[in-house]
Amino acid sequence: MQQQKIHKFLERYFESNGCEIIENHPGYLTVQLTIEMDKELMNRPFYWHYLEKTGGVPNPMKLTLITNNQLAPDDIIGETIHFGSPRLHQIFGSAKNLAGHIRLYEEHKPPAGTQAALMPWLCMNLKISYQCDRKKDIFKSIGIQLISGQLIEGFHEKLVNIQLTPKIPDHTFTLSPLIMPVSGISRVEAYLKTELKSEDHSWADAAKERWKKDLDLLNHFYEEDNENENYEVERRALQEQYEPKINISVVNGGVFYLTSEAV
Amino acid sequence: MGNIFMLLNGVYKMSLQINFDSSWQDAFLERMRADGPWGNWDLFKLAVEVEQQTVIPEFEGLIAPGHLPHLTPLPHQLEVAKQVIENMNGKAILADEVGLGKTIEAGLILKEYMIRGLVKKVLVLVPASLVSQWASELTTKFFIPAIAQKKSYMWEQYDVVVSSIDTAKRSPHKDIINKLDYDLIIIDEAHKLKNNKTKNYEFVQNLKKKFCLLLTATPIQNRIEEIFNLVTLLKPGHLGNETTFNDKYSSRNKRSVNEDVHLKELVNKVMVRNRRADTGIEWTNRHVETIAIEFSPEEQALYDSITLLRNQADGLMSSQFSLMTLHREACSSREAVYYTLRNMLKRQEVPTKEYEDTIQFLIKKVESVTKNSKAEKALELIRQIDDKVIIFTEYRATQLYLQWFLKQHGITSVPFRGGFKRGKKDWMRELFQKHAQVLIATEAGGEGINLQFCSNIINFDLPWNPMKLEQRIGRIHRLGQENDVRIYNFATKNTVEEHILKLLYEKIQLFEKVIGDLDDILTRLEFGSIEDHLVDIFGQSATEGEMKIKMENLTSMIQFAEEMKEGLARAATENS
Repeated sequence: MQQQKIHKFLERYFESNGCEIIENHPGYLTVQLTIEMDKELMNRPFYWHYLEKTGGVPNPMKLTLITNNQLAPDDIIGETIHFGSPRLHQIFGSAKNLAGHIRLYEEHKPPAGTQAALMPWLCMNLKISYQCDRKKDIFKSIGIQLISGQLIEGFHEKLVNIQLTPKIPDHTFTLSPLIMPVSGISRVEAYLKTELKSEDHSWADAAKERWKKDLDLLNHFYEEDNENENYEVERRALQEQYEPKINISVVNGGVFYLTSEAV
Repeated sequence: MGNIFMLLNGVYKMSLQINFDSSWQDAFLERMRADGPWGNWDLFKLAVEVEQQTVIPEFEGLIAPGHLPHLTPLPHQLEVAKQVIENMNGKAILADEVGLGKTIEAGLILKEYMIRGLVKKVLVLVPASLVSQWASELTTKFFIPAIAQKKSYMWEQYDVVVSSIDTAKRSPHKDIINKLDYDLIIIDEAHKLKNNKTKNYEFVQNLKKKFCLLLTATPIQNRIEEIFNLVTLLKPGHLGNETTFNDKYSSRNKRSVNEDVHLKELVNKVMVRNRRADTGIEWTNRHVETIAIEFSPEEQALYDSITLLRNQADGLMSSQFSLMTLHREACSSREAVYYTLRNMLKRQEVPTKEYEDTIQFLIKKVESVTKNSKAEKALELIRQIDDKVIIFTEYRATQLYLQWFLKQHGITSVPFRGGFKRGKKDWMRELFQKHAQVLIATEAGGEGINLQFCSNIINFDLPWNPMKLEQRIGRIHRLGQENDVRIYNFATKNTVEEHILKLLYEKIQLFEKVIGDLDDILTRLEFGSIEDHLVDIFGQSATEGEMKIKMENLTSMIQFAEEMKEGLARAATENS
């Protein structure tokens, strides 16, 4: 993410959280935080605790984020944001945290006098991390229809092209799932696991190879001293570092009620 | 040990572990039951975009360079960063030769880890004179908001702090730092940590850290203690017990080839090193010129009278070392000699009459010296160069004298010493760049300052440690130097200096060589420091002839080691 893109991202983040952007300059932006966002980002629980106890007037902070030191005026005081900066990681995390779970309906106007049925879909956006001493991630978006059990990949890409709303539109009704959400989740899990198992795992074998080599070297240094407690610590450290595994985590997801034509 | 192998074999047979994180699902099902609360669609999409931006698409390769459009790292720098992250798990000694851009390599690694979200809290320990430079390079080149430490609250307040190790190890800083958990520690000029008995070593060892980068231009070689100490900083406990390790690998015991292989493997696991020659970069040339200086009769008389003292071996000048120092100082300036003499007198609480007389006799000789032949030559040379020049001297007294002397002749100069505070060093560097023609640096000032804008060095006197000399040259002959570099070595005829220069520097072609080769050679010898040998040769030789022979021996040993190294290198290429 280059600096300009980060700037755009911050704009969208604060806007979608209802924060007013007081100043928007190519090199920086100043935001008036809402009470919720102050609590989310500024890490001052004591202030909020005190305020709630005393009933004072809440005064959420203004935040100035500098996205380009060269463009920002010298007298601007703020935090420099870069890709990799803890503040940006915090905001990334917050975006995930605040929108981890969602329920939306397709914005659909059935012809006058008719009612349209909306199908329940479970959407799961996942990160699959292949981990050993190196790391690789794959992002996957999977949707499963909770009536037929139809499962599709690249679900998120389809969703972004559909008009969605948080309230159920007039003259539409939702069909009840035949597959409970919890089973839907298990189906997705099982599907991923089967798929992953059939993949080529030479990366894992290579990692084990490197692991063994490093362990041999370690053993060599402890040849005459294998009762040493450090040995166990070091051996574990190597296991931690090399042991190949795949971790699947959910970025976010939720239920989407869509017309049968939508997908 | 057996059970461990069984355990490992067990792991081998197990199929690949796949973990499915269920924390999302619990919260989701709870919301289904409670009918909310539900997130916002824009934010939801944003979160997905973030994820797509932050995935690491391949096991290999770096993502940081793609986020740094203004920086074009050199291929060897990218390669180092890749190596450290992929193969060394962020625990490494970066030992590129002087001037290849270790700062860029460290910056890349730091950035990469920060992007991957693996590093947040960082401590950068560098020589005082480089603190501001590091902080500004990290900020401008890598968009990493690094802060130069000024107040003690900063350790906790800021995530990326740059400081000198001398500041950090003092109270109250030390106590604060020891309480913090660092994700990454970067230490520049880490060769100073080879000795585990020092305060610096102890300080670094006590830091709590996940990843660690040690930067040094002096690589570790076959010195057992150095390997043990540096690797132990990176991976505590990895080498087992120090005594066992030393017994097994110490050069005093016969080392089996087999064990050497293990050591090599170990060193390769933790150290990356590029040489100028490997980088494929076009370096500007080095031109080395030796300038023979002729003593004035008075200077010669002073030098000779010091020589006479040696023969008066009645415990008066008991230490060969001080005699040698006086000799070397006499080649530099009368001020340097005077300063030492005065100190020698002060050190004796009740000096004997004889002692006092000798010193007074020498001081008389000092006083009768009216001119400094080297300084005059330097003046002539500076005028002729008509550009910026750095003069290196080993002695502070000479430094002060030269400053005064140049001023008398209308040449602007600034002093530079290791002992200067950081702000003063930055200031002096800037003064030199913008306003002064000459920078006069003492030895301690040789490290940790980058002066690529200057391309001339005068070695007013020569250090006996060849590594120091390379450090001096490395201040200007580094990436970013656009001109050929000119090095002028002053050596006074018929003195120790001339011997050193002729026999050591010219025979082993030190100046044309770059540091790496020499390093390898010197460490391979494992016979102690060259300096000790020189003190021995010049101090203990009864006759000029004996001195010559000993010098020849030393030179041939060095040449032998050099050949041995070339032989090994050939063997290595043939094997691979």
